[in-house]
Amino acid sequence: MKPVGIIANPASGKDIRRLVAYGSVFDNHEKVNIVRRVILGLNSMGVPEAICMPDFYGIGIRAIEGLDVAMKISFLEMEMEGHQDDSTVAARLLHEMRVGCIITLGGDGTNRAVAKTCGDTPLLPISTGTNNVFPFMVEGTLAGIAAGVAARNPSEEGRYVKQAPRLEVRRNGDLIDLALVDVVVSKSGFIASRAMWDVSSLKEIFLCKADPENIGFSAIGGLIFGVPLAQAQGAYLSIGEGGKSVRAPIAPGLICSVPVLTYRHFSSEEEIPISHMPALIALDGERELIVPPGDALSVSLNPKGPRVVDIPLALRWAAEQGLFIEQP
Amino acid sequence: MELPKEKLLEMYKTMVAIRGFEESLAAAVTAGVLPGFVHLGVGQEAVHVGVCSALRPSDWISSTHRDHGIILARGADIKRMRAEIFGKVTGYCKGKGGSMHLAALDKHATGCNGILGPSQTINLGIALALKKKKQADIAVVMFGDGAAHRGEFHEALNLAACWKLPALAICVNNHYAISVCFDDACAVDDIAARAAGYGMPGLVVDGNDVMAVHEAVSETAKSIRAGKGPALIELKTARWRGHFEGDPQPYRTPEQLESDKKKDPIVRFSTQLLEQGVATEAELKVLQAQAGKELQEAIEFTEKSAYPPLEEIYTDLIYEGRREVR
Repeated sequence: MKPVGIIANPASGKDIRRLVAYGSVFDNHEKVNIVRRVILGLNSMGVPEAICMPDFYGIGIRAIEGLDVAMKISFLEMEMEGHQDDSTVAARLLHEMRVGCIITLGGDGTNRAVAKTCGDTPLLPISTGTNNVFPFMVEGTLAGIAAGVAARNPSEEGRYVKQAPRLEVRRNGDLIDLALVDVVVSKSGFIASRAMWDVSSLKEIFLCKADPENIGFSAIGGLIFGVPLAQAQGAYLSIGEGGKSVRAPIAPGLICSVPVLTYRHFSSEEEIPISHMPALIALDGERELIVPPGDALSVSLNPKGPRVVDIPLALRWAAEQGLFIEQP
Repeated sequence: MELPKEKLLEMYKTMVAIRGFEESLAAAVTAGVLPGFVHLGVGQEAVHVGVCSALRPSDWISSTHRDHGIILARGADIKRMRAEIFGKVTGYCKGKGGSMHLAALDKHATGCNGILGPSQTINLGIALALKKKKQADIAVVMFGDGAAHRGEFHEALNLAACWKLPALAICVNNHYAISVCFDDACAVDDIAARAAGYGMPGLVVDGNDVMAVHEAVSETAKSIRAGKGPALIELKTARWRGHFEGDPQPYRTPEQLESDKKKDPIVRFSTQLLEQGVATEAELKVLQAQAGKELQEAIEFTEKSAYPPLEEIYTDLIYEGRREVR
């Protein structure tokens, strides 16, 4: 049985959307509690080892204090920067160690950082962020058990591991960044507090996930199309007056009217140039790229993004196999 | 968030001016011409300028003894600032406040405070006055991570929340309370997390990014002016010098200091301005030269200024009479 990786982002769930919207603070004590329950779930499935990303708060260290489990808990040897790059480095190391899956605690931004380097290692994303389209709102104990299923039965993962799409941002044909949910182009500005919530500056939106039940910029596409995007299907929206106005939940408690000039689906065959330059580009809700005048950027859809453990499918399959039935 | 070029360049120049001002004080202490305790905010310029650029002139601000930069960023006269620190009669407080009790009431800066903690309850009183007078201004208090462990912090937040006062508490977390490392003294990793205990929003902001600070304080001030009640912001930053000039700093390694200096807020902001085409290298150099010239004029002004006369030694010590809060 393979070990399982754990990446808990201490910075998730704390950005300015607590103020400009009504987001809840996800404090690190709660993340410690979730990791503790994850470890107990993993331990119950006989996972031999959990390998945690270190962080300045010590989420993993605090989680195992006083915890009586048979499994080994270890920490990655890596330099900490206190930045999202820590998650990217940790994902690369865990992928190289061939762990059975990587459990993440964070929001869309954290999982984007992990997806850059996790390769084909399955992710099990637990939501502790603000806008959470990619990760699941799930009890940590169940997440730990589901990850244990994945680690214990890698040959069966086709039954409960699904491939998510990703959006790829290219400059002159070279891949420079990616997103798991949305690429949002807005008027030029500063990265500042990173989070994106101001719809008045929007110019273009690219989506690889859109569903009426989503929150964030993904919701705009979901509400205008009315049905979720299919696998290998993206959505492009041009923002401006003269078309439809969509009332969408952009962040917790923040519901805005967004004027959508045109909208359409696109396939993985297309590479769509970003037409508004200079621009500020947000990836999965966080301002990331400042694009100066003269730069030529494009966005395309890659259906082969990160592989994700479907928790209900994993638990149902394991139950069908009798994995939870104890022998007398 | 859009700011005009003029404002962005003014912010840059103010950051450069604060850095130069503080470093000139360090040189004066080393040369033995500036006696007494001096606490410098070198490395914290994004905090000073980010906060003040987001406030209105009619808002009020109280700060600590490391906040010469706050008063400068409020638009105070650099000549009167330096003269005050050198105890000259031309200073803001006629040379009697010095570095640790420097106030510029014309800029609604109630001043540095030598006692860390009580400024939070002083600010509470200002916020109460603003509310009673039905003014649309807010009262801001700056304090460090050490002061966030004092009783006044909790008392002020609680009462501000109970009375829904127009108060903004800003914790400047530079990771060291004199010589005590934050990690050894605080059970949580963010002071801002304590806001939840008082039913108010709490934000953690990169205090080395002036635009992040400006945006956070702008949005928070907007929320407070809209009557939504007080808030707590924590700005994570670093001080590059000791707690006071002369502090040998045995509590941190040279490597830690070098790591902090790599996050230089002025370099970061100038890079942003250049990358976005807001300014050219030549324009930034002009601003640096202007700041340097103004500092030199302040040095000469201070040198030429007199000390307060001996017969005034007991005047201005105790306030007599009642004055309305402006």
